[in-house]
Amino acid sequence: MSEKIYAWLLRLYPSRFRETYGDEALQLFRDRSRDERGFVPRLRLWFDLLADFALSVPREYFRVEPELVSYSAHLRSDGVPSFFVLADEPLGSGALLFGSVLSVAALITFSVLLNHGVKHVPLSALLRPTHGAADSRSSAFSPPAQQAATYNGEEGTISSAARRQPRMATNPSLQTNAMARNFQMDAPPLPESAEPVQQQSRGAASSLHAEVKLDATERHHVVEAAATILEKNYIDRDNAQKMANALRAHEKSGDDDAAADGAAFAALLTHQMREVSPDRHLTLDYSETPLPQHPLEPTPEDLARYREALKQQNCTFEKVEILPHNIGYVKLNSFPDVSVCQRTAESAMTSVNGANALIFDLRENRGGEPAMVAFMAAYLFDHPEYLYNPRENTTEQSWTRSPVPGNRLADKPAYVLTSARTFSGAEQFCYDLQMLKRVTLVGETTGGAAHSGVWHRIDDHFGMGIPETKAINPFSKSDWAEVGVEPDVKVRAGDALETAVKLAESKLPRK
Amino acid sequence: MPKQKLNPLPSAAFQIMLALAGEDLHGYGIMRQVAQQTDGRIRLGPGTLYSSIQTLLEAKLIEEIEPREDASLGNERRRYYRLTSAGRKLARSEAERLADLLRVARSRKILRGGYV
Repeated sequence: MSEKIYAWLLRLYPSRFRETYGDEALQLFRDRSRDERGFVPRLRLWFDLLADFALSVPREYFRVEPELVSYSAHLRSDGVPSFFVLADEPLGSGALLFGSVLSVAALITFSVLLNHGVKHVPLSALLRPTHGAADSRSSAFSPPAQQAATYNGEEGTISSAARRQPRMATNPSLQTNAMARNFQMDAPPLPESAEPVQQQSRGAASSLHAEVKLDATERHHVVEAAATILEKNYIDRDNAQKMANALRAHEKSGDDDAAADGAAFAALLTHQMREVSPDRHLTLDYSETPLPQHPLEPTPEDLARYREALKQQNCTFEKVEILPHNIGYVKLNSFPDVSVCQRTAESAMTSVNGANALIFDLRENRGGEPAMVAFMAAYLFDHPEYLYNPRENTTEQSWTRSPVPGNRLADKPAYVLTSARTFSGAEQFCYDLQMLKRVTLVGETTGGAAHSGVWHRIDDHFGMGIPETKAINPFSKSDWAEVGVEPDVKVRAGDALETAVKLAESKLPRK
Repeated sequence: MPKQKLNPLPSAAFQIMLALAGEDLHGYGIMRQVAQQTDGRIRLGPGTLYSSIQTLLEAKLIEEIEPREDASLGNERRRYYRLTSAGRKLARSEAERLADLLRVARSRKILRGGYV
């Protein structure tokens, strides 16, 4: 029995030792067992053996194999690689089985991980506008999901989503104050398949595919309507008159005759107006699909769908995390409706509340609601601050609701990452906080979309959007319209995060 | 490599060489001889014994000779080991080093007895 135990214990030695001296060690054990009988000698024998194991097993494992020495010497001598087999015993079935199981497990793990990686789609990919007309040139004050409903002057057409739900108000008196909200509510993201149903349900189906006749009468009608709308509503009266005169003059001189179709005509008129005043929000648009007579209020289903879409996108909070050195990082891709997203925004800010510095990543933020801009900015102050918004007259919402109860970020260094795709409401966030000297902007000059417009229907196929408000800017004469917001630290958008992290780290107290 | 392992010479290795200085012995014989020459203070376990033997073999301080039976221990053939001349030389120099130490110890009155 004790010999069996000892034989088993011998397996603790490296195979090389067992092979050479295993039998002899066992023989020595037998010799001693035979010679040392009685309780005390046997006890001493086992004590000796166990002490011997404790000392010699580790030593045997650390023994440098002579083959290894000669191998390295061999390499040094002629540099030709060669192999030495250190163990010449064949692999046991147990080792083979273990190896197989391990290989299969590794294979399964890798394939599962790979599969998972392919399925992972970053949220930003979902947020990118899919409509060609609603790309970066669109400048409405709305988050990407809603932006599809806005007009795009440079294209000369209304985006497809806008045709589905052209909801921009035609009554200027109703629009001015509620403008941003109208834009914002305009386009709950709709699945493509819903389009015909939407159109029919809104009573616009009667002349769905009516061709527009672009003759002199129609051209004159459009030019005259546009000139009148400008004279009545454009913010800058002087320029309004100049633009109206220019439109009429071009028509008279026959410049408009070259326009082959509605889209080209709309683009031409937009160009003529912008020659007088380079305003990106001033646009005349053409829609192949007839525009509805009256603005349509969003149905409860539309609103529900809009809310659902926002929630699915986590209210466009793409990433909220604590970076190394306790730097809070919030990647926000729009400034969505506060009434839908207040909780999400609060929980996002709560999760970075303990941070020593804060980074807002607005590199893919395409704008949104001024109310959300103020809601987010509130965390950076311990007293109410006025936020300038060129689209709205001063209201209660122009002030931040600071101090936010429980907020600890009011005095922490804050950085905002920008890119050339940072637009509109996001630019308001950048501009105001920069003017208030509350944040450091890191990245590229922003897109330069300051003014928002109000939509005016001219007829079934033409309409125009023009800016109608002018808020007083307390900071300086010029805002970011056309020129964008200049960052404090100018780096490529791709390098902005790294740069901001370094800046933040340099400001943190050294431990 | 073995030379590094044997410098300084481990006690077990020196005892084995001393044991083999008198006659060729197999493993168990070495163990018994060592126990005897140290009044039972050192009982080499199999691991320590064969590990040391291996090191000494690699350093060519001992060599393995033709296996044979030990009549007093049955009819099993056993491996026998013999001290080489290099081993004998090293054992002598180690003994001299210890003798020097002994001399110093006695001169410092740590140890009684005459100078060797």
